[in-house]
Amino acid sequence: MKKKVLAVLLGGCMVAGLLAGCGGGKEASSDNSSSDDSSSGGGDYTFEVVVKSFQSTYWQAAIQGIDAAKDELGVKVNTTGPNAESDIADQVNMLNNAISQKPDGIALAANDQNAVLDSLQDALDAGIPVVCFDTGVPDAPEGSVIATIATDNEAAGAVAAENMYPVIKDAIANADGQVRIGEVNQDATSANISGRGMGFINKMKELIEADGKTVAVIGNQFYVDQVENNGDEGSADVIIEVAVPAQTTVELSATEASNIMNKDDTIAIFGSNQVTAEGVLTANQNLNVLAATPDEGIVGVGFDAGATLKAAVADGTLIGAVTQAPVDQGNLAIHALYDYCEGKEVSDIATDSYWYDASNMEEDDIAPNLYD
Amino acid sequence: MGEVILTMKGIDKSFPGVHALDHVDLEVRKGEVHALMGENGAGKSTLMKVLTGIYKKDSGTITYEGKEVEFHNTREAQDAGVVIVHQELNMLGHLTVAQNIFIGREFKKGIRIDDKKMNEEARKLFDRMHIDIDPKETMSKLTVGKQQMCEIAKAISHEAKVIIFDEPSAALTEAEIEELFKIIRDLRDQGLGIVYISHRMDEIKVITDRVTVMRDGAYVGTLITKDCTKDDIINMMVGRVIYEDPKTKNMTPKGSPVVLKVDHLNAGKMVQDVSFELHKGEVLGFSGLMGAGRTETMRALFGADPIESGDIYINGKKVTIKSPQDAVKHGIGYLSEDRKRFGIVVQKSVAENTTMADLDEFSNGPFINKKKEKKVAEKFVESLATKTPSVDQLVVNLSGGNQQKVVIAKWLTRNCDILIFDEPTRGIDVGAKNEIYKLMNRLAAEGKAIIMVSSEMTEILRMSDRIVVMCEGKKTGELDISEATQENIMNMATREIN
Amino acid sequence: MANKSVSKTAGTKKSFVDRMGGQQFIVLIIVIVMFIFFSAMSPGFRKYTTVVSILDYSYYIALMAIGVTFPLLTGGVDLSIGTGLICYSLIGGLLVRQHGMPVAVGMIVTILIGVIFGIINGCLVALMDLPPFLATLCTCMITRGFGAFVVGGYGIPWPAAGQDGGWFRSIFKIQVGGQNIPIGFLWILLLVAIMSFVLNHTKMGRYTRAIGSNKEATRLSGVNVKFYHIMAYVICGLFAGLAAIAYSAIFATVQPGSGAGFEMDAIGGAIVGGVSMSGAVGNVTGTLIGVFVICLLKTGLPFIGLTANWQQIITGFVLIVAVLIDIFKRKKESGK
Repeated sequence: MKKKVLAVLLGGCMVAGLLAGCGGGKEASSDNSSSDDSSSGGGDYTFEVVVKSFQSTYWQAAIQGIDAAKDELGVKVNTTGPNAESDIADQVNMLNNAISQKPDGIALAANDQNAVLDSLQDALDAGIPVVCFDTGVPDAPEGSVIATIATDNEAAGAVAAENMYPVIKDAIANADGQVRIGEVNQDATSANISGRGMGFINKMKELIEADGKTVAVIGNQFYVDQVENNGDEGSADVIIEVAVPAQTTVELSATEASNIMNKDDTIAIFGSNQVTAEGVLTANQNLNVLAATPDEGIVGVGFDAGATLKAAVADGTLIGAVTQAPVDQGNLAIHALYDYCEGKEVSDIATDSYWYDASNMEEDDIAPNLYD
Repeated sequence: MGEVILTMKGIDKSFPGVHALDHVDLEVRKGEVHALMGENGAGKSTLMKVLTGIYKKDSGTITYEGKEVEFHNTREAQDAGVVIVHQELNMLGHLTVAQNIFIGREFKKGIRIDDKKMNEEARKLFDRMHIDIDPKETMSKLTVGKQQMCEIAKAISHEAKVIIFDEPSAALTEAEIEELFKIIRDLRDQGLGIVYISHRMDEIKVITDRVTVMRDGAYVGTLITKDCTKDDIINMMVGRVIYEDPKTKNMTPKGSPVVLKVDHLNAGKMVQDVSFELHKGEVLGFSGLMGAGRTETMRALFGADPIESGDIYINGKKVTIKSPQDAVKHGIGYLSEDRKRFGIVVQKSVAENTTMADLDEFSNGPFINKKKEKKVAEKFVESLATKTPSVDQLVVNLSGGNQQKVVIAKWLTRNCDILIFDEPTRGIDVGAKNEIYKLMNRLAAEGKAIIMVSSEMTEILRMSDRIVVMCEGKKTGELDISEATQENIMNMATREIN
Repeated sequence: MANKSVSKTAGTKKSFVDRMGGQQFIVLIIVIVMFIFFSAMSPGFRKYTTVVSILDYSYYIALMAIGVTFPLLTGGVDLSIGTGLICYSLIGGLLVRQHGMPVAVGMIVTILIGVIFGIINGCLVALMDLPPFLATLCTCMITRGFGAFVVGGYGIPWPAAGQDGGWFRSIFKIQVGGQNIPIGFLWILLLVAIMSFVLNHTKMGRYTRAIGSNKEATRLSGVNVKFYHIMAYVICGLFAGLAAIAYSAIFATVQPGSGAGFEMDAIGGAIVGGVSMSGAVGNVTGTLIGVFVICLLKTGLPFIGLTANWQQIITGFVLIVAVLIDIFKRKKESGK
C-alpha cells in the first residue's frame, strides 16, 4: 500500500514536472522574463526587448540598464531571451512573438544576423521600429532598423592591446629569440568575437611593428586569413597565436589556453570574452604562471566581467580586463525607441569599452558595468 | 506410477470472443511422464498458464498434493514446486550458468553475493542430472541443448514436484534429445510428476506413460501410451467433425505449365532442402504445425531472408532472388501472415496502399500521379468488392477482410502472377473468409498461381489442389487433394524425420 | 545450426586479450599509446601540470560515466546527466552564495537533487514504461530550464579556494609545497572500486545486468524488476550529483543553460570502454578507461595543434568505431 501511495505521489510530481517542461517549451522565456508592468504606471509606450540569452550575467547587466530607462521614461518593457546564445531558432520565435504583440518598438540583440532578417521585414511591414543593441544586423531590410547601439568591438579589442603592450614592451625589445602572445577566442563565427579578436591582433601588430619588430599571426585559419601583411612564422620576432576551442566550454577554453601557456616563449595571453578569460584562469590553477610582468611569468588580460574575473583582476592574477557597457547599451536602446516614438531623430551609437584593473575597479563610471 | 499429485478439474477460461478452455481435466501422478497433446490452438499452453498462475481461471479446481490451490504468479507456483520449462528459453544470456539458475534467490554473504557457493550448488545439480556443464560459463556461449539442461536444473533447484516441459525438443539435436530423455526418466524415477507437451508423435511413444488429448479448448480424453497407436492419438486430435465442402479433386487444368519450381532450397534451420513445383492456375496448400518452416520457406522464396543454397526457376528460367525487390520484379507477390506489420500501412489510405508496390507506374518523375492512383484503386475496390466508403479512407478503419483485399489489390496492381497467401484468413470473420476464398478461386481460374500457407486444416482441404506438408523445416509429404485426409496430413505433419 | 554445434563446456581456451579483460585491455593500451603519442608530439603535454589538468577536467565526466553505466547496462540511457549536473550545482551553489548556507549543506543538497531526478527518471522508465531516451531527454530539458529559472539567469561561482568555504575545492586537489596534487583521482578510483563491487557482487548489480539481458525472464524469475530498474537511474542521478560537486570544485563559475553535451562525453566514454548500448555487457572499470580516451582526445588534440573542427571530426570517428565494435561483437554473438 505504502508503495502505491509513493508511486502515485511520484507520478503526480512527474506529471507536474512534465507540464512545467511543456509549458517551458512553448514559451521558453516566460520564466526568465523580467517584465514588471505594474511598477511603470501609465507608460505611453510598450516596448519588447529580446536579448541574446539569460545565460550570462552580462545580459543581466544590460537588463539593469533597460529597467533604469523604463522607470525613468515611464514606459512598459517586456524582456525575453533564449536560454543560450546558440538557441538561434528559439530567439527568432521570440522575436516573432514580440512582433505579433504589436508593441511600439522592439530592441533586439540578435544571436544570428541572418536568421532574423525575415522577422525584421515583418516588423517593417507592421510598422514597428527596431533598435539593435549589442550586435548589429548589417543586412537588415532598409528602414527596419532605426538605430544600432553596439560596442565597437574592434576598438574594444584594441583597448586590450593598448593596455597590454606597455607591460610587455620591454620584454619584446630585449628578447633573445621569438616571443609569443596568445589569444583565446570563443568562436570564429560571431561578428562580436571575431571583431574583438581582430581588433586586438591588428592593434598589437601595429604597436609592435611601430617599435621596429616583426609579427607573425598563427593558429586558427579564420583569424590568420584576415591579417594583412602577415609575417613569416620562422623569422618573426613576435608570434601571435590564436586558439579557438571546439566547444564553448570553460574546460576546452582552458585546454587551449594551457597549450599556449605551456610554451616557454609565451609572455602574454588574452581571453576575449568571459568564458575564455575564465578558461585562462582555470588553466592557471595548475600552471600558476600568470604574473604582473613578463619577467615573472605570463601577463594575462581578460574581457567582460563576472565574479571570478573581477576577483582575478582585483588580486592581480590578471593585469586587467576590458569591459563593455551593457548597462549603457540597454539604457540607450530604450531611450532610442522612446525618442523615435516621440518623433525625434535617432542615430547609431558606438558605445565605449573600458579598461579596468585593480586600481580603477571601484570608480563610478566603471563599477556599474562590472556585473557579477 | 505413484499417487496423484496434481488434478485440474473442469478448468474454464474465456478471453474476449474466444472460449479458450472449456471444462478441461488433467491428472498427473507422481513418477509419470504425462503427454499433453493437441493441434495448434487446442489450448495446451493456456492450460499450463492457468496452472502456473499466469492466467486466472474462470472456474474449475486445481488440487495439488491433496489441497485445493490457486497460484497467482509463477513465483508462487515455483515456491510450491510447480515449475515450467519454457519452449522459448527464459535465459539471461549475459550471465553465467549458476547466476541464471539462482536468479532471484542468490546466496549471500552479508551484502555480497556468494558466487562460489552458487557455483558449487549448480555443480551439485548437474551431478545429480549426470551432465557436465561449467557453472561459470556464460549462458549465451552454451548450445541450445545445454541451455535447456540449465533450465531443467533451475526447475529442479526449486525442489520441483511437478515439471512442465513445453515442447522441449523443438530446438534440440538427436543426441541432445537422448540426453534430455535420460534426465526426464531420472526425474520420473525420483517420483516427480512430468507434463510433456510435444507434437512429435514418436517421442510421445518413447517417453510418456499417459497422454491427454485436447481439441479446440476442450478435453477429449486420456490414454495409456503403451496401449494405444499413433493413429488413435491423431484421431482424437483432429476429431470426427466433418468439415464443410472440402475440394474433392484437383481443379488445375491438365497440362498446365509449371510457373515456379523450387529446387533443394536451404535457408537456415527452418528451411532444409525444400523442393516443390507450382502450376499455373493452381492453389498449392502448405500445411504443417506451428514452426514447421512454411512461413520461413516463403520468406526465403520472396527474398526477405537470405537463401543459403538451392535454385528457383520461374517459367522454366533460373532466377536469383536476393531481396523482395527481385521477387516482385519476377512477379511474386507475398501477403504476409502478419498484415499489420508487413502487409499494409494502416495509417495510409486505400489508394496509397494499393499502389505502394508499384509506385513507379504511378509517378511522373518524383511526383505521384494522384488521379491515376485513385482511378486504379477504385477499379480494384469494385472488382474485389472491398467495402470502403472511398479509396481515401485510411486502411486502419477497414475490417480485417477488407484490409486483406487491399493487400491483394496491391499485388494485383503490380501484375504478380505468383501470389503467396500466408494465413490469408487469420483474424478474419467467417463471412469475410468465404469472400477471400471465392476471390482466391477466381484468381486461380484467371491463371494466377497461388501458394496458400495455412494452419487451419479446413482451409487447406477446402482450397488446395495439391498439398505440401512440412515438419521442422523439411518437406515431409506432397498430396493431391483427391487423396488427402486430415489424418494423413496430420501424420505427415508430425512425422519423425529420419 | 544446433545440429552442427559442438558442445562447448568447461576448459574453453580463451585468447590472451580475453583473459586480460577483453575490450578493456585493448582500450587501456590505446590510452597508454595515446598518452605516449601526445607526449612525443607536444612538449607542453608531457608536463606534470598538464596531467593534473587532464585529471581535473576528467573528474566530472568520469563520475557521470560511472553513473550512466547503470542505465546503459539495463539497456537504457540517461541523457539528463549533463544539464542535470549544471542544474544541481546551480541550486546548491545558490544556497551557499545567496543564502549563506555552509558549503557542506550546499553539497548535500546538490547530491540530493541529483538523486531526486534519478528517482523521477527511474519512475518514468520503469513504472510508466516511457522509452529511456525520451524520458531522459525530457528531464534533460526540464533540468536545463529549471536550473536557469532558479538562479534567475545568473552564473553561480562556488566559493574560490581562498574564500570562506573554499575548503571543498581541496577535496579534489591539494597543494603540497607549491605543487598541486590531484587527489580527486584517488576518490574516483575508490568509487570505481565500490561500484565494481556493487555491479559484480551484489543483487543490485546482478539484477541491473539481468534486466539488460532479458527483462521478462528476470521478472519471471521472481525479481522485483521495477525496483531495481528504478535504482539503476537513482545511482545514475546520485553520480550526476557527485559530478556536479566535482564540476563546481574545478571550474570557477557555473553558467546556467550550459551542460548540454556533457552527457555525450560520459556515454561516449562508457561505450568506448566496452559498455554495450543494448545492455548487460560492460563494467565500470572499462567505463573509467573509456573516459580517459575521451579526455585525452579533448586535451591532446589541441596540444598537437589540431584546430577545433579537426578535434570534433576525430572524436566523432572514435565514437563511431567504438559503436561499430559493439555492433560487430553483438552480431558475432547472435550469429554463432
